[in-house]
Amino acid sequence: MAGPLEQFEIKPLADLSVGGVDISFTNSALWMVIAAVLVTCFMTLSMRRGALVPGRWQGAAEVMYEFVANMLKDNVGSAGRKYFPFIFTLFMFVMFGNLLGMIPHSFTFTSHIAVNFALALVIFVGVTVIGFVRHGTHYFRMFFPEGAPIATAIILIPIEIISYFSRPFSLAIRLFANMTVGHIMLKVIGGFVGLIGILGVLPFALLTGITVLEFGIAALQAYVFTILTCIYLHDAIHMH
Amino acid sequence: MPQFDIATFSEQIFWLFVIFAVLYFLMSKIALPKVGEVLERRQKNIEDNLGKARALKDETDAAIAKYEAALAEARDAAQADIREASEKAAAEQAKKTEAMVKKLSKKTSDAEKAIADAKADAMTGVAEAASEIAREATDKLIGVKVQAKTADKAVSAIVGE
Repeated sequence: MAGPLEQFEIKPLADLSVGGVDISFTNSALWMVIAAVLVTCFMTLSMRRGALVPGRWQGAAEVMYEFVANMLKDNVGSAGRKYFPFIFTLFMFVMFGNLLGMIPHSFTFTSHIAVNFALALVIFVGVTVIGFVRHGTHYFRMFFPEGAPIATAIILIPIEIISYFSRPFSLAIRLFANMTVGHIMLKVIGGFVGLIGILGVLPFALLTGITVLEFGIAALQAYVFTILTCIYLHDAIHMH
Repeated sequence: MPQFDIATFSEQIFWLFVIFAVLYFLMSKIALPKVGEVLERRQKNIEDNLGKARALKDETDAAIAKYEAALAEARDAAQADIREASEKAAAEQAKKTEAMVKKLSKKTSDAEKAIADAKADAMTGVAEAASEIAREATDKLIGVKVQAKTADKAVSAIVGE
């Protein structure tokens, strides 16, 4: 019986290295490729006919498109329009990563802090750059809201700075923790099913329920990751 | 925990960036424009159809208005014709009645004149006869021959009263 952490192990499938940096193609990369291929197939094959009255697959692809487009419009407004491809790619990539992780013996690349933090850092740096490009040095106002009494600066500014810089951590760790804990829980409870004989139906029932819950969490965490990105983007474009 | 094995970070992040970039390219250049185009086309189609329906409705309304105007005109014309015809008939009737009245009154006056003539004739005849009778009577009764002139005078003095 494999331990509950074994499912997170990175296994190189092809060893590669450039300039001493290890860039081996691993199971993580393989599942990223699978996710990317599935997203691409889903979004292109379903729209191949581009029918006026959509079929089931085209309808699903359009629903995803409009879901993300509305999320962006509601949270950022029309100024966020040009970031739509990025937000859409982010949402689909994270969601497919989460959902593919639900396949037994697959690999959940979003359960890895390195992947999540890299994504979060790109978002954080990108949003900060957008903020400074749009507002110049006025963007520093983010750390001291307009209209606050000057005496509160000594408390407000450190708080705002900490909250601003904790964004990538909260983004990355939230997704990592949700995915990791869910998978560990499934594995541990799944282990009980075989261990305790006929009484195993109890953990099995629990496992069934948690599996449903985990599917919900997989979609929900992708949504949370994306909507927080939208909110950060809103701050960068419109300030507070 | 394998998540904290720093040795695997470089490979994960490298492939993340490569695959994410490729997916971003595929989405932004191929997949999303197509979806956007289809949605836009559908929206345009719906609006076009609505516009067409509105235009057809306007056309129908115009046709109905035209038809009603024509109907009203025809009704007016028919009423005018009826009025004219009845007026003409009434005028003719009046004329005929007048002619008839004239004719009748002429007949009446002619008849009255004839009656008056006949009466005058009769009166003269009576006076003559009276004077004749008066002369005969005086002759037979008292044997006096009265002149015709005198008898006439006496009779007309009595009748003329």
